[in-house]
Amino acid sequence: MIASIGPLLPLEILEATGRYAGPLLADFDAPTPVARRWLESKFAPWAPCVLERWAAGAYDGIETAVFSRADDTAQRLYYYICELRRRGHIKGPEPVIFDLAQIPRQSSLDRTIAQVRSLADRLGVDDAALGNAIEVSNQGRSTIVEPPVGLNCLLAGTPTPDGRLGDAVRRAGFVPHGVTLEEEWSDPGPQVDLSCSTPVEALGRQLHGRTAGPRSFADPAELMAAKVRAAGASAVVLWRIEEDEAYAWHLPAERRALEELGVPHLVMTRRDWLGRDGAPDEIRKFLEGVKP
Amino acid sequence: MNSSENQRSRKTLACTAEATAFQKRFGQDLRRRVIDEGEPFAIVQADTPHEIFHAMDIPIITNQWWSAYISAKQLSSRYFDAMVEAGYPANSCKYCSLGLACTLANEPETAPWGGLPTPTVLVARLTCDCIQQVFGQWSQALGSEFFPIEAPAWEDKDPDWFAHSKSDWERVYQPDRIAQMVREMRDLISLLENRTGRKFEEARLHHLMEQINVQEGFIWEAAQAIGAARPCPVSIAEQMPNTMIPQWHRGSDWAVAHARKFRDEVLERIAEGKGAASNEKLRLMWIGAGVWHDPGFYQSMEESLGAVFVWSMYMPFAGPAYIRDIKGKPMEALASRVASMNETLHLPPWMNGWMTAEAARCGIDAAVMLLPPDNRLSQSGTKLTAIALEAAGVPVLMIDADMVDAKIWDHDRMVAMVSGFLAERGLA
Repeated sequence: MIASIGPLLPLEILEATGRYAGPLLADFDAPTPVARRWLESKFAPWAPCVLERWAAGAYDGIETAVFSRADDTAQRLYYYICELRRRGHIKGPEPVIFDLAQIPRQSSLDRTIAQVRSLADRLGVDDAALGNAIEVSNQGRSTIVEPPVGLNCLLAGTPTPDGRLGDAVRRAGFVPHGVTLEEEWSDPGPQVDLSCSTPVEALGRQLHGRTAGPRSFADPAELMAAKVRAAGASAVVLWRIEEDEAYAWHLPAERRALEELGVPHLVMTRRDWLGRDGAPDEIRKFLEGVKP
Repeated sequence: MNSSENQRSRKTLACTAEATAFQKRFGQDLRRRVIDEGEPFAIVQADTPHEIFHAMDIPIITNQWWSAYISAKQLSSRYFDAMVEAGYPANSCKYCSLGLACTLANEPETAPWGGLPTPTVLVARLTCDCIQQVFGQWSQALGSEFFPIEAPAWEDKDPDWFAHSKSDWERVYQPDRIAQMVREMRDLISLLENRTGRKFEEARLHHLMEQINVQEGFIWEAAQAIGAARPCPVSIAEQMPNTMIPQWHRGSDWAVAHARKFRDEVLERIAEGKGAASNEKLRLMWIGAGVWHDPGFYQSMEESLGAVFVWSMYMPFAGPAYIRDIKGKPMEALASRVASMNETLHLPPWMNGWMTAEAARCGIDAAVMLLPPDNRLSQSGTKLTAIALEAAGVPVLMIDADMVDAKIWDHDRMVAMVSGFLAERGLA
């Protein structure tokens, strides 16, 4: 079996192997004493959880774990795991890194396409199988989404470990619109344009042009406004955790965008990923206060 | 920072004062060129191909140098406060953002040089999640353009990279990564030629690369001698300026001559049996960026404990990171230099492999490691390196502090912490 770690991976290649087990997740509430011996404090908090289980042998049944370079924690964890395996501290799946280059420049696009080819070759996926997998995923992408109705709250910012913050939104009478870590890692992105010369090029172009992810060059204010509109949000909770190093820089632009949109919003920064700092109650109280 | 802040370091080498004086003159000259005469210039990260700019005679302001300059003027706290007032979280990465903070604070009356004018371009290699945000926003604030450089994944993981980087750099740094960087450097050259009207000549780069080999060869020779000498002739407080200042000007006649002078002074002190401390008992290793706001820290235990900081990364890095057999391919050789500078200092297996070997080479008794609380990149690799050093018999103290943010640095507390650690481990 093959598993993935991080966002913005060529999921169609993994699907085409017929051996894709999905994102490599863990019990995020479990203690991580072993992993903390190796990982420093600023790693995203999912990383020690994954490493703890990796060290415990929980992933030994997986043959390959594909890491993403599009996320700083994921790409650093790749090097740590390679080293820990080399030194015999852990066993587990063979780590592989997918080297997405996102700079809007021809050389980065070419590299991404080459990396898609390299990963496909490594996992034994030919063009026909990849093309089929892309067609299947494109069908899923074209499913028509009904415009949201009712009271909607955009839960923006750091992907949550699970539905714990969404539950707080629901308790206040709103429909939550946000993503969990698993959903972020499983997001295949927009349609892949198969009119390119090869499926590899098509997938490479789609990945290079993705606006999601910490290394995207998209305008953060525009992205925020688009999310608010897509969710039909009448309130926004912008929630970011202590370990975030990328999106924190978007905060002034995002705040301005929300103010221009005139949507009530609660900004929460440097928060605990597991919500043990009272965030669910703060969210509920804020939403009850802005409820029409 | 408390009242003991900014303790000055003690200098023993004539060339240290010369380097500092040169840098001061350079700062004045740079200011004249970019401020008074409005010459095109660039703001660049330390791990970008400065050689391209030097070969085209385009002045550069290195972000890390500019940060240290602001920090040395005790302005870091003021500007970081301004960032928070502008809506950024207080824990945003400090090391690379002080220049942006200074620009956003928009206080010409306090800013060095009254603040920076609009550069031709800002250049950074994307080695972490925040640098593209910092440089992207900085370029917007300055009305300029950001030229990012990819930091591709490095799959050829040789823990002994430092033993092969001079001759076997194509393999060590991976051909596809080198080719990627060469393409990006060619794009950068086109941009610079279009914007400045200055022309790039590969022959000039080739000459510069040869000169850099000579310069860094002197530094490497001195580093080898310092590692072998007892007592250590020169503390890192003097190693750093004599390595870094010429490195900002790498390949220039002055830089080559200065590196030679430094090497000669080091060898002279060794021949005379002179030590940084009058009674050296402990040889310490400093792992992390320099604490620019308190350079006196490094010499604070020399006389009381005989504890000498004999190693920091800057000087010994000159050999494996800079010296290259050019093989008629200066662009590729340069790409191999730039493509992995950050990775070798912050990621396993390169960081721990090199530092453990260096500790053995230099007879290190204990290591002190900087662990900046708000900077994943600077923290990165430290725990695995500490484990490797401890396994090699080198006790390691990890201290939570930031290299540019003076707020969480207390000279007396830090000295007491290191002294206590050495006592606890039975070394002092």
